[in-house]
Amino acid sequence: MEKDILIKMQEDLGRAVRKPEEKRRWGMLIDLRKCVGCHGCSVSCMAENKLGPGVVYRPVFEYETGKYPNVGRTFLPRPCMQCDKPPCVTACPVGGPDGATWKETKGIGAGVVKIDYSKCIGCGKCVPACPYGARALDDGSFHSNGKKVKAQPNEAAPFFEYGKKWVREDMHQPSGNARKCHFCVHRLAEGMLPQCTTTCVGRATYFGDLNDSESEISKVMAANKGKLQVLKKNKGTEPRVFYIADENLGNLYGSEK
Amino acid sequence: MDQKNNRPEAETKESEGLSRRAFLQQTATWSCAALVGSQLDFVNGLIARVQAGEITPDEAYELMKAENQLYTVCLNCNTGCGIKVKLLNGVAVKIDGSPYNPFTLNPHLPMKESPQSVAKIDAPLCPKGQAGHQGAYDPYRIRQVLKRAGKRGDGKWVSVPFDQAVDEIVKGGYLFKNIPGEENRKVTGLKDLYAVRDPQVLNMMGEDIAKIRKRKMKVWEFRDRHATNLHMLIDPEHPDFGPKNNQFVYMWGRKKGGRSDFSKRFSEAFGTINTHGHTTVCQGSLYFACKAMSEQYVGGDFKDGQKFYWQADLENAEYVLFVGTNLFEANYGPTNRSPRITQRLVDGKVKCTVLDPRYTKVASKGQRWVPVLPGTDAAFAMGMTRWILENRRFDSKFLSNCNKAAAAADKEPTWSNGAWLVKLDKDGKPSTLLRASEIGLKAAEKRKDKDGKESDYEFLVTLKDGKPIAFDPNDEKEAVEGDLLVNDEIKTEKCSFKVKSALQVMLETAQEKSIAEYAQICGIQPKVIEDVAKEFTSHGKKACVDMHRGPAQHTNGFYTISALMNLNLLVGNFDWTGGMIAASTYNTDGTKNDNQPFNFKKITPKYGKAFGTSIIRHDAKYEESTIFKGYPAKRNWWPLSSDVYEEIIPSIQDAYPYPIKVLFSYMGTPVYALPAGQTNAEALTDLDKAPLYYASDITIGTTSMYADYIFPDLHYLERWEMQGSHPNMPVKVQPVRQPVIASPNEVVKVFGEEQPISYETLWLALAERLGLPGFGPNGFGEGKPLTRPDDFYIRMVANIAYDGKEAVPDASDEEVEVFIKSRRHLPKNVFDAKRWEKISGKAWKKVVYLLNRGGRFDTQENSFKGDHVANKYGKQINLYQEKTYKVKDAFTGKHLHGMARYVPVADTLDRAPTELSQGHELHLITQRDVRMTKSRTVTNGYLMELMPENAIIIHTNDARQLGVKTGDKVKVVSATNPEGVWDLRNGTKKPMIGKVKVTETIRPGIITFTLGHGHWATGAADMEIDGKVIKGDPRRAAGVHANAAMWVDPHLKNTCFIDKVGGSVSFYDTKVKLIKV
Repeated sequence: MEKDILIKMQEDLGRAVRKPEEKRRWGMLIDLRKCVGCHGCSVSCMAENKLGPGVVYRPVFEYETGKYPNVGRTFLPRPCMQCDKPPCVTACPVGGPDGATWKETKGIGAGVVKIDYSKCIGCGKCVPACPYGARALDDGSFHSNGKKVKAQPNEAAPFFEYGKKWVREDMHQPSGNARKCHFCVHRLAEGMLPQCTTTCVGRATYFGDLNDSESEISKVMAANKGKLQVLKKNKGTEPRVFYIADENLGNLYGSEK
Repeated sequence: MDQKNNRPEAETKESEGLSRRAFLQQTATWSCAALVGSQLDFVNGLIARVQAGEITPDEAYELMKAENQLYTVCLNCNTGCGIKVKLLNGVAVKIDGSPYNPFTLNPHLPMKESPQSVAKIDAPLCPKGQAGHQGAYDPYRIRQVLKRAGKRGDGKWVSVPFDQAVDEIVKGGYLFKNIPGEENRKVTGLKDLYAVRDPQVLNMMGEDIAKIRKRKMKVWEFRDRHATNLHMLIDPEHPDFGPKNNQFVYMWGRKKGGRSDFSKRFSEAFGTINTHGHTTVCQGSLYFACKAMSEQYVGGDFKDGQKFYWQADLENAEYVLFVGTNLFEANYGPTNRSPRITQRLVDGKVKCTVLDPRYTKVASKGQRWVPVLPGTDAAFAMGMTRWILENRRFDSKFLSNCNKAAAAADKEPTWSNGAWLVKLDKDGKPSTLLRASEIGLKAAEKRKDKDGKESDYEFLVTLKDGKPIAFDPNDEKEAVEGDLLVNDEIKTEKCSFKVKSALQVMLETAQEKSIAEYAQICGIQPKVIEDVAKEFTSHGKKACVDMHRGPAQHTNGFYTISALMNLNLLVGNFDWTGGMIAASTYNTDGTKNDNQPFNFKKITPKYGKAFGTSIIRHDAKYEESTIFKGYPAKRNWWPLSSDVYEEIIPSIQDAYPYPIKVLFSYMGTPVYALPAGQTNAEALTDLDKAPLYYASDITIGTTSMYADYIFPDLHYLERWEMQGSHPNMPVKVQPVRQPVIASPNEVVKVFGEEQPISYETLWLALAERLGLPGFGPNGFGEGKPLTRPDDFYIRMVANIAYDGKEAVPDASDEEVEVFIKSRRHLPKNVFDAKRWEKISGKAWKKVVYLLNRGGRFDTQENSFKGDHVANKYGKQINLYQEKTYKVKDAFTGKHLHGMARYVPVADTLDRAPTELSQGHELHLITQRDVRMTKSRTVTNGYLMELMPENAIIIHTNDARQLGVKTGDKVKVVSATNPEGVWDLRNGTKKPMIGKVKVTETIRPGIITFTLGHGHWATGAADMEIDGKVIKGDPRRAAGVHANAAMWVDPHLKNTCFIDKVGGSVSFYDTKVKLIKV
């Protein structure tokens, strides 16, 4: 019997992380035919990155189409698109090469749109700049008590975004900062898949090196060329997240902002 | 009050002093058998990059270290997926799926991989599992025993010492004299109910009661024989009620193996027959219809039917008809079933049809959606049956086999009774099966059973080419096949018998209505039934009818399930790959083989056998009781079902058949979970009927709020259990739930041993006070204590390790080190390596090996053998149910049908609910959302963030007619709840008001809501403890829970509508009205 595709993708990752960054191109593919709308990716990400109320890096949208009894349902997870031309970066007032947010070109996270929490001033200008709504401001509150004070131990525990240890309690950073999905670059560094990918019960999410034609993600993309789509293509953001769907996603998700 | 907090102080960061480089190198040496092909190279590569300064030590991701991970089993729903809990400073900070467990990875990794080598491999898990640790850290968890300080349900409590509470429950007395109105109320304690203590007395009385039931002994004879012991009976006039011991009633919600065995040890030692689970609120009639189908012929009667069911092998099926089951939301469960089908659906390797009034998530991925009316699934099934039989699309080779030998010759692991002869009664209706001796074909044979008891074995009869042949269904040598469609008369010199084959009975039952009539009942076109029947019979044995609670939770659940399951018999798909399969587990009690170190039968005292009539009257026939007074009976009797949840508390209220004294409830909330559950609140606030009620719970819950005492239990991350498996899992497993975090509960001493208060602690303390045999320092034999949970569960783990052809290997020394290190945060009163080693004995390193992986799991390769599944059911399956036929309806006195059929929805007196429906046009059903479990996910902030409230989901047409749109508020009312409220019997009436959600994805006329919202406790309401008010969290009260609108049976008056054969509650039969608010 074939291995679970998660194991195959983790093997692919082993090859990818050993490549020089300029030869590697991280990408994500979500096959909506297999997404069962479980929201596991959303919660897994919230727990991994200790997201507070109002911040969901990867929500799953649900769409209904048609009239009874000829109806359809589509589930659409929406991570950060890690755009090659990210409008959020240009919107940031703390710009420049040492700015608060940028499209990474170096190291394991090359290709990811990153935030430097120590530089982010929490002005919130990047939030509406993203056509996908992938950014949100962290107000420092906790799910367990809805407050900004001491949280329950699991929410107050450290987390590892961008390979550093963070604790949100008592309004420590990244409380007060803009926050977004980062393809779990701290996991990639260890040869592990992003949380959303590793927890996908329908096996709808693929992740890997788009430059590696032998990788699972490249093979599935090649086999489904006719059904490949990106969200809001006309925005010219050049997303790194692709979808496979029988339906036209522009009709569901919208093609305008 | 002085209390100890078991949570460890913040530890110093354990990775300090271990450099990043050293850590990586260590990881490298651990990665022995590269399970991710290039893992070793990859890690070496990382080391090189650390050396090159590319990665800083900051990047150390502590969660990926084996020493920060523990494997256990989720319980945020009953699927029980394998989980990998990641810990920092003793706190569970992240939960992922376990790569060792077939419920979470497909195929899962073999156990030979070490925990160090899989440390970086996470497996999928549904959102509830991912959020599970939030339940452990819920601020509303209770940590000490609470005693009621106001009226029941008033929300006023005082914390009391554990020992005091246990003493009071055991001794009874004026326990609540400080509460106005209860000054003179004396409560009977458990010690007075522990009346019969001599096992021999219990057994002798029990044997004579059996004689009274079979009319082989008169009551006065019994009274004479047992004159000295009559005072220990509940009612000497009705000795069949049993001893006073039965006046202790124990009921539970979610409980799995291990904890079941623990409480069983207590109840057997105590001698009460009243231990009842919650099966019928879930899918009872599915269980009990399959029990009836699995009853085995033993020479005279049928017995040993299994309380279980089958589901489809989704990895290999080519076609599945899903009936009222949504595997992408629930149904044992999304994590497990989704990966087995999503890619195959995309590739066209499996097709599916979904029967459901809702366009479910699985319907949205399937080829055909058939929105039948609720409660009509059996009409669809009988229409299919008729078409399949009339068009001869059934597997005649399979159905002709009358016994095991014939089945084996066809490589069939199972066989049916389709060709067996059924006698007709004087009205020409099918009755019992024909015995060979009745027609002088073959005399009964003397046979000995495994205990050496001799009895007459009566042979059965089939016709082969018109000639009667006698056979034994379990005969392995002489193959007997029979004619399938027989309608004949067998004449002997003395008498004659009109007979039909079981398949003929099925055909004629199906022919009682035309396919067009069946379609009309379902509210669909006849062609749909024919098309589905054709498709279903076009894939050989790789086609399944897979069902869950949808078809079961109706008043006609038992026959609906039988009708659907019979379709699987028509294609003979049982035990075939792609067919219907059964669960298979490793044994825990050590009775499977001689290598298992702890045979619980041998290390448990010989308790007497509890006897009498249970408060829910299960395993008993009305006609055989001493209170038989003609029909209708006051309440139902349940010879075919058990764990009838909706009967427990209302029967206590009716004192039928007798009054009880003490009630204990564990991890369940009948008030919230049952249809018309508010009736249970009424019963629980009746001090005369339920004089003493104590509960084990982790919060003040929606039912435990009515208790006199609440004992804090452990969260599932803090405790033991043997999860077992589910019928859709082809792999043999035994996932083990084990403590992975410390408990916040008060630490107490029982039998001199320190332990955090738990369910087990409570049983142990009660056993200590009562002096029950089988507990204490010599509980498992001289010098072998049962004084703590681990005494019990470590032994079970050792047994699992030694089950099967080969025991699991010993853990290596490195693995033992990881085992101990990864538990460094657990207090000694939970984990003590020396203590555990001593309990395990020779099995220690195997126990470590197994616990390091969260249980035992066979490999994927071992789970299939050629065209069959490896773990087979392998027995006879009844198409015609003789045992069912022999039962009489306790309300009408009529025989039950032995053949599955469509039965319209009705009350207990078989009346159509026409009057109740009047003026209530909308048909109320319920559903699960993958983010919610009924009563425990409201404590999980991540889930509540994504789904802060639920809605009343309604079709566009109905919304238009009501003049409501999405977001508008409506109130749900019905004929039995015209006020539309939850009357909590504490002065609060919580209205059933919810927001409307308008959709095209439901059949017009049907409305639904997801279960899990609309709470009034579990942190949702204010409570007063020790005089201090603790404010509730209003987020937990959000949404609507409309169970209280569900119909109350007009004859029973304090219970919902029920399936009087299979026990299920009716969840989907009520008609309601929505009132715009």
